[in-house]
Amino acid sequence: MKKARSIKKPGINIDMTPLVDVIMLLLTFFMLTATFKAADSEAIEVSLPKSVNTDSTRLPESDIMTLTLTKTGDVFLDVDNYNVRKEVFGNEFAIGLYHPDSTTQSEYLQTGKIGNKEFKREVIPMNRAQFEKYINDLRLNLINRTDGKQDFRIVVKGDKDTDFGVVEDLMKSLKETKNTRFALVTDLKSATLE
Amino acid sequence: MAGGGFDSAESSGSDRGKKKYHKGKKLGVRIDMTPMVDVIMLLLTFFMLTTTLATPQVMQINLPKGEEKDRVKVDMGNVLFIRVSSQGNIYFSLGKSDGSEMLPERIPFENLRRTLESYFAANPNLLMLLKFDRKMKYNQMVDILDEINRAKIERKYSFLPMEEADIQIVTAAGG
Repeated sequence: MKKARSIKKPGINIDMTPLVDVIMLLLTFFMLTATFKAADSEAIEVSLPKSVNTDSTRLPESDIMTLTLTKTGDVFLDVDNYNVRKEVFGNEFAIGLYHPDSTTQSEYLQTGKIGNKEFKREVIPMNRAQFEKYINDLRLNLINRTDGKQDFRIVVKGDKDTDFGVVEDLMKSLKETKNTRFALVTDLKSATLE
Repeated sequence: MAGGGFDSAESSGSDRGKKKYHKGKKLGVRIDMTPMVDVIMLLLTFFMLTTTLATPQVMQINLPKGEEKDRVKVDMGNVLFIRVSSQGNIYFSLGKSDGSEMLPERIPFENLRRTLESYFAANPNLLMLLKFDRKMKYNQMVDILDEINRAKIERKYSFLPMEEADIQIVTAAGG
């Protein structure tokens, strides 16, 4: 009797409800926590140094002025506000390039590539004076635009193989433009147990 | 027990009794969830791949403003020179009150934090002067700053350019 009944049902019926529940939960979680990769994902790739960093500050969400240091010694000046970029650089997709070390040549200016990758945004080469002027102009533009409510936070995103000399020159320029507070972007290093 | 009509042995398995009841009257609606699960799975994958969960950390640096009025005279006896050679070797040397400084001592990176803590235990007013060689890698600078941040000391440091004299001191000590 029992056997006969089970033969009548063809196929196996799996109840999907718990699966759907869990997936829905995951979906909601990811949808709510999603912060998308930077809109202009033409970001320059650098391999960040690792730090343990006890004061665990997070990168601010917006109003960031990013100074990207590639391992060839190029410094790229970028801000995340395209209106400011449009007014100061004259092109909303432009990015500044400063090569502080005069003994070497800029990789981008020589090869047109960054880390062997094509770069689509317009690059404005600058010397030191222009670089410092642009830092000031970019900040002033945002301050004026928002009636002093917002200001750029300066973030240095250096490749771990960058020479310290580049960082030193950059710090000199930042000091010169009275930007004595800035942040170095690092990756979290799992603290070693002691 | 609603589903009657069986002998007592069968109806004691209540599930079985119910199933039979439903089957007979065909109650309830069966929704095929497969397409919905497909779509949700797709969305889930999309969000999982596009999210950047870990926003990178930052390490805050405050440089001295460098204005004339902020200049302070530091007693050389309270100065700790931290020099790093182009090879990445770390040398500590304490300043002396008469303006000279002690012979540099090479500190392995693993002992950096412990050494710093012991120096600061001896003199809590120490000011660290960081003189890094220009050929040193940025990675190591972050490592050293990280160790300074982790050490239980008051973080007072300042960057100074590595001059010819410093390079000579470091080379004399072993490069």
